Amino acid sequence: MTWFETFMNGFTLAQAWLFEHCVNPLLPPLGLLAYQEEAFDATEFALVGMGEIAFLVLFFRPLEALFPAERWSGRRGVRVDILYTLLHRLGFIPLVMFVLMWPLTFKLDAWLRFHGFIPYTLEDLIPALENRPLTTFFAYLVILDFFSYWLHRFQHRLEWWWALHGVHHSQQTMSYWSDDRTHLLDDVLTAACFSLLSLAIGVEPGQFILLMMIPRILQSLAHANIDWRFGPFERCLVSPHYHRYHHGMGTGSESGQLSCNFAVLFPIWDILFGTANFSRETPPTGIADQREGRDYGKGFWAQQRLGCQRLWSALTLGKA
Amino acid sequence: MTVLTLFSLTALACRAEAEVVIVLNSGEGTITRIDRQTYQPIDHFYVGREPHHLMSLPDNSALIVADAVSNDLVFLDPKTGDILRRLTRISDPYQIGFSPDKHWFVANSLRLDRVDVYDARDFHLVKRFELASMPSHMAFSPDSSMVFVTLQGSDQLAAIDLRSLTVKWVIPIGKTPAGVILTPDGKHLLVGIMGQNEVAVVDYKTAQIIKHIPAGKGTHNFMPEGDGRHIFVGNRSGDTVSIIDTKTLTITKTFPVPGGPDDMEVSADGKELWITNRWIRQVSVVDLSTDKVVRTIPVGKSPHGIFFEHHAARL
Repeated sequence: MTWFETFMNGFTLAQAWLFEHCVNPLLPPLGLLAYQEEAFDATEFALVGMGEIAFLVLFFRPLEALFPAERWSGRRGVRVDILYTLLHRLGFIPLVMFVLMWPLTFKLDAWLRFHGFIPYTLEDLIPALENRPLTTFFAYLVILDFFSYWLHRFQHRLEWWWALHGVHHSQQTMSYWSDDRTHLLDDVLTAACFSLLSLAIGVEPGQFILLMMIPRILQSLAHANIDWRFGPFERCLVSPHYHRYHHGMGTGSESGQLSCNFAVLFPIWDILFGTANFSRETPPTGIADQREGRDYGKGFWAQQRLGCQRLWSALTLGKA
Repeated sequence: MTVLTLFSLTALACRAEAEVVIVLNSGEGTITRIDRQTYQPIDHFYVGREPHHLMSLPDNSALIVADAVSNDLVFLDPKTGDILRRLTRISDPYQIGFSPDKHWFVANSLRLDRVDVYDARDFHLVKRFELASMPSHMAFSPDSSMVFVTLQGSDQLAAIDLRSLTVKWVIPIGKTPAGVILTPDGKHLLVGIMGQNEVAVVDYKTAQIIKHIPAGKGTHNFMPEGDGRHIFVGNRSGDTVSIIDTKTLTITKTFPVPGGPDDMEVSADGKELWITNRWIRQVSVVDLSTDKVVRTIPVGKSPHGIFFEHHAARL
């Protein structure tokens, strides 16, 4: 038996045990037994998330200590981002988004089919992908990254969306925990956009569970406090330095058209659309008005509340 | 002809005759093929986004895999499991069935609350029904006039009249119904009620529940033993399988099967029961002379449908 098979067997047994002993017994009293298969998948999501978090701590924490982009007097400011990461990667926020998006992803899908339109998958649109799941998976990865690039540009370009996205940019001690630091309404909007996209091009094949972890781990690496540029691969993959410039005060951490380096995984989109900046400068992270004392909140709820206030201000006064 | 050549030809002939077991791994979109004689997996290949259930064409010329989310039906060679062709733009088929008269092909979309009725000759969509909610399993009346569908999300059993193409009745059936099957005498429907750990017996002519048979935890899906009298029922949360005597409408035996027993297949000689173990990426083989699991075979993620050609009679 290979190490991979041994690992997968262990993972399967852990998932089955967790599901049969901890999750499944809760479903009948909660009236959720009809969603038993979804609950089984959610158990896997949570286990994968635990594995991801363990990986981040084991590898990225030492790298932050060895190659820091910024030296901090302490890591107190990082703590709230750990909470965001746990809520996202263990599946709590994705579960809420799944429930909220239900009308969009399922009811709208069903309605479209009743009116004669069956949504397409990439294989329908590109028949050469049929029976090539790995190629299909990477095709989805590239398309979703392209879509993420444009979605990210709108998060900065639209003042009301920037009001929410500011939660993500207000971190002044940006670390490998910061990727999931987002406003809940920002999560809803992003989930809605991806749900609509899935109606247009379907969803990626779901069997590559370990491959699916890689983009999430790379996004955590992009936020890490590590002074890495990836050398000759700097223009192929978003590096911690490249993304730090996007989070830099007065460089990328801006609303309107001033920002740069929007790419999530592949800088090619920034290069193609003229928004790449491969500066060697390492600016401090955060939003410029934090220097003037603007408060974006220290704790989770304060950040959420202040995000709502900025949204209201952007909608009524035109400025977040 | 050398002895070696003779040996090779004999081996090839045996290999060609080896029966293939086809298992659908719904969680990873693949099929695992297993050699039924050696119990060894042969190979593993991609088929589509979410293959859940499969069944033979009425003339047994091909197997149809319902490939939910990918919106297609995949036709396989029933002997080898090789992909023959793909029928695209079939909306989200989850559970599928042919009416006994071979006139209708019905596909349930559990995800989208919908039952589609197709002309079985050319898979032309005839009528689409919206039912609340989560249409799961199906069974047909012996005269093909009705298809019965469990509605897992709304705790109901629906009957669709295939002559008038209308919903004839919808009745409350119990918490989270799943499998539904006609008894061999054609008089009753048995419905697995997952949330109440029992089988509901329904007189479909009067749309009345006439009996509740206590079973194991998470009573889920059925498969006839092939003797015209007994039916297996899997208890997916309790990790057991029970046997129902359809003459007395009682459970005669229950035995353990690990990891969420789901779909089943019985060998034509009645000696083996093969079951997908949904939570543990395995297929179990039960020796029916002892009712014990004698083999477990590794397959893919979330194995659901299972089929082999020389199976027991479905009624």
